[in-house]
Amino acid sequence: MSARIRTSTEVNIRKMHKSQSVMSRLLRLIPLLFGTVLIASCASGRIDPTDPVGENAKQIDGIMRLSGYMATAVGIFVAAAVIIVIVKFRERPDDDPNELPEQIHGNRKAELTWTLIPVVMLVFLAIVTIPTVFDLSSKSDGRTIKVEGQQWWWQFSYDVDEDGVSDIVTANEIVIPAGEEINLDIRSNDVIHSFWIPQLNGKRDAVPGRVHSWRISSPVPGIFYGECTEFCGLSHANMQMRAVVLSDEDYSQWVQEQLTPSTIPTAAAAKSGYDLFGRHCVSCHVVNGVYESAADGNANLTSGYAPNLTHLMTRTSFAGSIFELYEEDGSVNIADLKEWIRNAPGQKPARAENRQGMPSFAETLSDNELDDLVTYLMTLGGPPPLMPS
Amino acid sequence: MAITEERPEILELESGDTSPSTGAFARPTNASGWRAWVFTVDHKKIGIMYGAVAMFWFLWGGIEALLIRAQLFTPDGTVLTAEQYNQIFTMHGTTMVFLVIMPLAAAFANYVVPLQIGARDVAFPRMNALGLWIFVFGGLFLNLSWFLGGGPDGGWFAYAPNTGVTFSPGAGMDFYALGLQIAGIASLVGAINLIVTILNMRAPGMTLLRMPVFTWMIFVVQLLLLFALPVITVALILLSFDRTFDANFFNVAMGADPLLWQHLFWIFGHPEVYILILPSFGIVSETLPVFSRKPLFGYSVIVISGAAIGFMGWGVWAHHMFVSGLGPVGVAAFSATTMFIAVPTGVKILNWIATMWGGNLKFTVPMMFSISLVSMFTIGGLSGVMHSVAPADTQQTDTYFIVAHFHYVLFGGALMGLFAGMYYWWPKAFGYKLNESLGKWHFWILLVGFNMTFGPMHIVGLQGMARRHSRYGPEDGFDFWNAVVSIGAFIILIGMIVFAVNIVRTWLGYKAGTVPQEPADPWDGRTIEWAIPCPTPEHNFDYVPVITDVDDFWHKKYQPDENGKLRKVADGNEIAQRGDQNPHLPSPSYWPIVLASALPLIALGLIYNLWISGVGLLLLLGSMYGWSLEPATDPDAGHGEHADDHGPDDVDPPGDEDSEVAEEAPVV
Repeated sequence: MSARIRTSTEVNIRKMHKSQSVMSRLLRLIPLLFGTVLIASCASGRIDPTDPVGENAKQIDGIMRLSGYMATAVGIFVAAAVIIVIVKFRERPDDDPNELPEQIHGNRKAELTWTLIPVVMLVFLAIVTIPTVFDLSSKSDGRTIKVEGQQWWWQFSYDVDEDGVSDIVTANEIVIPAGEEINLDIRSNDVIHSFWIPQLNGKRDAVPGRVHSWRISSPVPGIFYGECTEFCGLSHANMQMRAVVLSDEDYSQWVQEQLTPSTIPTAAAAKSGYDLFGRHCVSCHVVNGVYESAADGNANLTSGYAPNLTHLMTRTSFAGSIFELYEEDGSVNIADLKEWIRNAPGQKPARAENRQGMPSFAETLSDNELDDLVTYLMTLGGPPPLMPS
Repeated sequence: MAITEERPEILELESGDTSPSTGAFARPTNASGWRAWVFTVDHKKIGIMYGAVAMFWFLWGGIEALLIRAQLFTPDGTVLTAEQYNQIFTMHGTTMVFLVIMPLAAAFANYVVPLQIGARDVAFPRMNALGLWIFVFGGLFLNLSWFLGGGPDGGWFAYAPNTGVTFSPGAGMDFYALGLQIAGIASLVGAINLIVTILNMRAPGMTLLRMPVFTWMIFVVQLLLLFALPVITVALILLSFDRTFDANFFNVAMGADPLLWQHLFWIFGHPEVYILILPSFGIVSETLPVFSRKPLFGYSVIVISGAAIGFMGWGVWAHHMFVSGLGPVGVAAFSATTMFIAVPTGVKILNWIATMWGGNLKFTVPMMFSISLVSMFTIGGLSGVMHSVAPADTQQTDTYFIVAHFHYVLFGGALMGLFAGMYYWWPKAFGYKLNESLGKWHFWILLVGFNMTFGPMHIVGLQGMARRHSRYGPEDGFDFWNAVVSIGAFIILIGMIVFAVNIVRTWLGYKAGTVPQEPADPWDGRTIEWAIPCPTPEHNFDYVPVITDVDDFWHKKYQPDENGKLRKVADGNEIAQRGDQNPHLPSPSYWPIVLASALPLIALGLIYNLWISGVGLLLLLGSMYGWSLEPATDPDAGHGEHADDHGPDDVDPPGDEDSEVAEEAPVV
């Protein structure tokens, strides 16, 4: 798992570390310690609920802060009381051991007071919470995208012409237009997963046999990171996802590109890769227009589905979004892609023998064949409309 | 008055020096050596064994925790594979809940409750031993999975359908389902026993509202267990049937709804949280008044709010399922009920602070642990209120913010309280105090390590670090706090090593005579367990005290003078019972441990080969038969005129207070 691309946040952190080392030379140990703690505590990575962007996420953030402030206020009150008790009422050496402190058995008024004050605070909190619960579960009039979780990646399907049949099927990256409240129909094809892109909204479980509605939106274009948060077995830690938010224009262009079926390549290496794909990959993977035998599910996987690869190269990541598909300079991350095909279970824990995850092809495919296969994959669409910054 | 096991008349054997009471085996008679422990039915020995076994599992679960922290010390940790990580976090949770905190509470319940209510033993002594041994075998069975192909890998919450054979093909989840089933029987047996004991065997005059708060909380917990365990029993049976006999309770393809498991698990699982915390609430309700030298502020309010928590605990389970897709009505309702369970809990916290307010606080080790419960639990409680705000919970659930929350509740709350109880009742159980200065080292190292471990989890949790992930990336920005957390976990280990050193050193010192034997009442206690010698004599009470007050023993020591001012009128150690009687006690028995050993055999057979179950079943039926033929009290072990005594209420107390009890109106 070598070539994870460093994000701007991390670069910023490195910059901060640099300025901090100058500071430390000047101010010595304590500020250094303080600075490190401060920077580290502020440093947030790609998954970042503390920086809400979507409307729902902002609404949640507001109510979360309110509850946090209330909890902090009560916490400070209790802490102060405990500290006063410890300092003021501790036994002192000159206390007469036969002298008892005043024996108070209780005080109805006091107890009533500290029963009623929390009741009032909590009623207030409930009054704020309950309408928000209903707000967040309502549907918008925006378009609907089908979300399917399976071990250990996400599938997103778009019914562009609204005829009840999915026209675009993609994996790991949900592409949405900016400024629109998108409805999600969240499902699962095996165990329970949880869909979470924290900057856009809270999480919602994907439960097999059920369809759960949820909404996401972002007012601005950008890439937002998410992951599965309901324990879903062996590779739960490696089931990530991205939301790629595009401007209206870019989004229409993306849709048009996705609707275009794939064709048979003509260049020799790519053609050889195409043939290899037909021999080794089609029992699970679909490429619209050329290899569609697995489109209605297949028996080689418990979930029945492997990622649709028709426009693989329009994505920024692969294998449950744990590997970058492109290097920082914009070239394809061939090394990881090849290694993934050669020995997927070595790159991401899976149980292929139990029909969970992609099997290893280390014994089946030669190095040249792997090269051809990668060459073919690189012909599948691209480049992505938006690259990670 | 006491409901004890009746001796069947028909089986009365002729008294002879060799006649076996069961026909097949002579009864165990050893008063010393390991047999005195293994075959005992004495609630005190059983309590101590519960504690010792639980501390062993605490070490085990702690090692699992340290492995988890070693893996997460750095991004892309390589200490564990994903498979090992999943098994270890599953078993860390399962172990700490079912094999550590529950049995530690059972240890205190068994040891202390009979002493606090003036009983000679629990109502059903052999059933008590049975509960202990079922728990021991259940824990061993659960962990046997490590040696037979790997531990359970579905999380302690075991959400279907991930726990089905399709997704968890190993035997781990079978061990989980059957192991918890066995451990559940232990708790159920214990619960019935303690409920009967508390309702029937209280000393004369001890009305329910004169009962010590610890006993009260244990009473509430046993009622919770009695009603919660059947629910998980059902859930585990469904899971076992799915896994073993291809049933379809959680098979989505056949129309099952996996949320069934979640509802069943959490209807058990949320009362379980109160099962874990209320015993500690009871413990600090004993220690805070003693070391503040003031009565508990609002005894009845604390008791009633404890009962209210127990009751309301049944109406909040779905707050574990705010993102499961309940629909807004369900979410809003459970959000509100969850908020309001904070009220009785908050009342307790403030009443404890009011208990200390104006007191004369002695900072003994049990007092320090008790105060840390009050403050650390408060933090966990407040973050709990934050989760009750369902929309906020959609960002928090399944992140480390939740992990921080429940460790503040269960470690900062339950365990701190249990440590307070250990230091507090240690002299009653063993005759000497644990070393106070080592105890303070233990306390401070633990407190620092605890906050270093679980405090930063709030931060990484809010930053979005998900639970149950075997790795995080360097790009996630979680490195710094995870390193701090892992260092904190190892500081907790150091604290626990200090505790172990303390136990061993004081024990050796006591044997060598350098650690003094404590008198009956070393802490100036308030409840009647301090009116009998340290360590507790085998028969507990020479005579049954007659109870006239809450904190009855304290009122025997302090009484108002002519100006109405409370004065010490007697020294607790002088008015304590001498412990020199030799009444007849329930006899030890082989059957509890033999019967208990049948259960893991039956379970093992369900996984591997039904013939093993058959052997286990025969053993089970055989030992039930033997048990039922065996008189509760060995007729050969009689002691003269008291040979038929079963409970302490048979022993006449000095004077005739018995008749006055009714006239002395209880002040509650």
